[in-house]
Amino acid sequence: MHYWRLDRSAWRPGLTQLRDLGLPMVETYVPWQVHEIAPGQYDFGEQDPRKDVGAFVDMAADLGLLVFARPGPHINAEMTYFGIPERIIYDSACQARSPRQNPVLQGFPPRMFPVPSYASQTFLDEVGHWFDAVGEVLAPRLWPSGPIAMLQVDNEASYYFRDAPYDQDYHPDAIVAWRKFLEKRYGNLSKTAEAHGQKYVRWDDAAPPEKFAADDASGLVKHLDWVCFREQLITTSLSKMKRRMGKAGLKNVVTVHNFPLGDQGVAMSSPSIEKVLDLVGFDYYHARREHRAIKRRTLYLAGTHPLPYSPEMGIGAPPWFTPLANEDSLFTALTALAYGLRGFNLYMAVDRDRWYGAPIDSRGNPRVEAGAWKQLLSALNTVGFHSLARRVEVGIMLPREYARLSKATSLLGFMSPTVLEATVGSPVVACREQSFGFDGPIQVLWWKLVARFAEALTDAGIPYVYIDGDAEPERLESLRVLISPSFDYCDPARWKRVTAFADAGGVVVYGPAMPGLDLSAKRSLFEVPADGRRVLIDTDADARSVVDELARDLELKRPYPVRPAPLETTVHEDVAGARVLFLVNPGKTRLDAIIDVPATTRFEDMLNGERFEGTGSVKVPIGGWSVRMLSLRGAAHESEDTNTAVAS
Amino acid sequence: MISESLRFEGFDSRSWTNLIGLFAPNVVHRLESEGADSDAPVADESSSAARSGSLIVVLDDREHVLMAMHTRNGRIKGLEYEGPDSLEAMAERWSASRCVVLREGVMEEIAERAAYKTERGDDYLAQLLVISRTIREMSEAGLLLTWPRTFEAAPIPTIGMVNRALDTVLPDNHAVVIVIWNGNSVWSALVLRRRDGFIDLVAGPDLLTRWTGPLGGDWRRDYRVISEAVDRAAAPVHLGIFTNLGTLRELLRSYDPGAWATAVAVRDVIVSPTPPYIAVALGADVVRATAKESARWLGGIDALGQFAPLANFVRSRIAEVASVTATLGFDPLNLLAQWLRRAEPVSEGGPSVDSAADQTVDADDDAEETPVDDA
Repeated sequence: MHYWRLDRSAWRPGLTQLRDLGLPMVETYVPWQVHEIAPGQYDFGEQDPRKDVGAFVDMAADLGLLVFARPGPHINAEMTYFGIPERIIYDSACQARSPRQNPVLQGFPPRMFPVPSYASQTFLDEVGHWFDAVGEVLAPRLWPSGPIAMLQVDNEASYYFRDAPYDQDYHPDAIVAWRKFLEKRYGNLSKTAEAHGQKYVRWDDAAPPEKFAADDASGLVKHLDWVCFREQLITTSLSKMKRRMGKAGLKNVVTVHNFPLGDQGVAMSSPSIEKVLDLVGFDYYHARREHRAIKRRTLYLAGTHPLPYSPEMGIGAPPWFTPLANEDSLFTALTALAYGLRGFNLYMAVDRDRWYGAPIDSRGNPRVEAGAWKQLLSALNTVGFHSLARRVEVGIMLPREYARLSKATSLLGFMSPTVLEATVGSPVVACREQSFGFDGPIQVLWWKLVARFAEALTDAGIPYVYIDGDAEPERLESLRVLISPSFDYCDPARWKRVTAFADAGGVVVYGPAMPGLDLSAKRSLFEVPADGRRVLIDTDADARSVVDELARDLELKRPYPVRPAPLETTVHEDVAGARVLFLVNPGKTRLDAIIDVPATTRFEDMLNGERFEGTGSVKVPIGGWSVRMLSLRGAAHESEDTNTAVAS
Repeated sequence: MISESLRFEGFDSRSWTNLIGLFAPNVVHRLESEGADSDAPVADESSSAARSGSLIVVLDDREHVLMAMHTRNGRIKGLEYEGPDSLEAMAERWSASRCVVLREGVMEEIAERAAYKTERGDDYLAQLLVISRTIREMSEAGLLLTWPRTFEAAPIPTIGMVNRALDTVLPDNHAVVIVIWNGNSVWSALVLRRRDGFIDLVAGPDLLTRWTGPLGGDWRRDYRVISEAVDRAAAPVHLGIFTNLGTLRELLRSYDPGAWATAVAVRDVIVSPTPPYIAVALGADVVRATAKESARWLGGIDALGQFAPLANFVRSRIAEVASVTATLGFDPLNLLAQWLRRAEPVSEGGPSVDSAADQTVDADDDAEETPVDDA
């Protein structure tokens, strides 16, 4: 709910309706651009009562709501300069740079503007002054003495949607940081030169690549370094912002960051950001036809992060985005919950300028759409959904070193892998086909291999998650099987985690190649995973036969199998067993689902109260592109002994 | 043209998607189509995804294809690019409605040039025009080829030309209102206001209802209330279009000359107020309808020539009153119509809209030499 965009008289009705919807917390941006009225001068309600963010937070507390505050600096929020004052935007010292030192424009209406540099010290200093100012208002209201329980640091920090590897950032401060990165990575200039296959006489010679130019493995090293550096630049910048917030008194509450759509293509590393912030989540704005993307993104969150969370679960959208109906938003939320999302912020709950589709209008009146959301939130609260878990035995690893190669070899310039994943559905769709002396184009093949296994596991009804190659080792602890694509080169640190998993008794499926080169394209010894299964996957059928073999040998659980395809079920349980079963229809056609159950079982649709019962199987009709959230009743839930199908 | 403090408000998801569906049917069609059948889709020649709105992108280095993709069906393996004349066949072969061939590095060049040329004070449209001219430069240098070449013949106007055209359609400190009913309720609505030279307000049905209070349910009466309310709350109404959904859908899909004029005459569409250029255009539509009917009565004898003097009169009046086409150097409605025809989804079992569009385009091409149709 954006307080500054609403009449002050609409605050209380908006907050009240939001609370009545079943939400325990209100989220708001706090825009620097709005509060700064001149350099160093701020209005927090002294001149314009709509800018009194302190009063807004106090009113939320008065109504029993917690607050999630997002003071930027970047907020987007469909604001003309994404929430940053115009004087900062047009200060060349603050601007990101292209290879030719031009500014870098972001393209959204109503005005394209040069985006700031995440490396610019001038920009970060200005951000610090803003945090000092806003800290004076927000810090006294932090939990536990106030209602602010969460703080977001910046927003969708993927270079303002201009995140292709050779798009930016060639700001002088970024170049300095790049050289420091190389020095830390390789130890000194000569080792850096050796790794890059270049003659560097002084550090000034170690310029970042401005376009892709490599024919073989050794030529790739510099490009992979650059892509890795750009990820690290964002993490470092967010870390600096967090520290600066702390200095302004904004600390000791949960810190958050959100990824935009197209997360597998972004120039950011969520595991590395979660080392400096408490919680990393994804923003969801999807049409129903994008079931695959919703599922993939949620399974990544569920596999990679301890708390799968969405800082923006879209209800409606900006007018210059793909038009989304309320049915799209509901389907997206339910699908994400089905695959393991445990928390979300409804964005936007209350309508405002440059938005459509919020369930509460800008005067605080509920719209027709509010009813369905109220029911969903009530069902989640009733069942204690946040405390349930989905049992998963199989993880598919997404090796970051191959994802970086995909980014480095993407050919469509500012139509970056992020943009392509969000619009076309795949971050590797525009990669060059070149093989660089390997057996094939790894930048394309790794993604295809992952997709084949995902499809085979889905067909077999075996739950799985995605695990980022850089994820903490404890993310592997609950798994029995780890599928890890491996090609000619590999990150030795990741491979160590893979072999440690095998040593601890897990089954590693790897291949098609056993790696032999490290990230500097140097020959290196890679340990073969103990009892691992090396596979060559050339067709979809190959992946299916590997999965069938694993399922048979390891007796992998297939809870509540459903037919016909493409229906899917997911089961969420607590210590007593299965509590909620989601039935997902990713296709357009209405179907009668036949769900196999271990005993006489009753399902009750938690959103509309419909009941279904059966022994051995239960028939449940389901519309096209819809999700049913079913509570489990009867023998399957009441008796743990007969609950084997829930993998207990 | 577009204010940096543009306000957009008053739409719920239904009224906004309704509006988009009318003018960008391909967007809605795509949203209603099945999703991809793989996380790593690969296109093949048997892919049967609908053509409408799909694009093939090929990137080469002068000698080799480095990458090819279909925006619906995924990567294309083994595509052979056989030169500029092969684009149409390529689109046909891979089931796409458009294709673009890019030389390696051209996207980066566009980004650099556009950033260099864009001035701080430029509004969004001016910025888009800079990018369009940059793309045109690339195209003229042979670094970027597209098919079809719908927009290639159209000159890129300057921001001054666009503003002068806008002066005709929506003069400063005025508003345009479109309201569409479905039965007794407003199905969608759009109010555009121009202030200080820029469009600064895009308002939807919620806001409109707030301005008017409850509407009576009879849109042929309510339109006056709406116009007066917009006058009071936003700006004097320069052009108002009020109609029901069924009529508008038919009109937007009709290739029948005279359809708009007939609808206005029988009050299926109310245009109020009616700016002079609209009145003249409706008059031209009547002329086209009469010509078509007479040709049928005369057993196919082309009677258009008989109307040439009248058509010339109408055309000169359009130019005299205020000709957007003359100002811009191209007919924006004609371009929009071509775009919409191509964007129309393919109907199942029926003739493809593309083929209908092609026929229509052919008809338009023939008509280019005919003053009446030109008008």
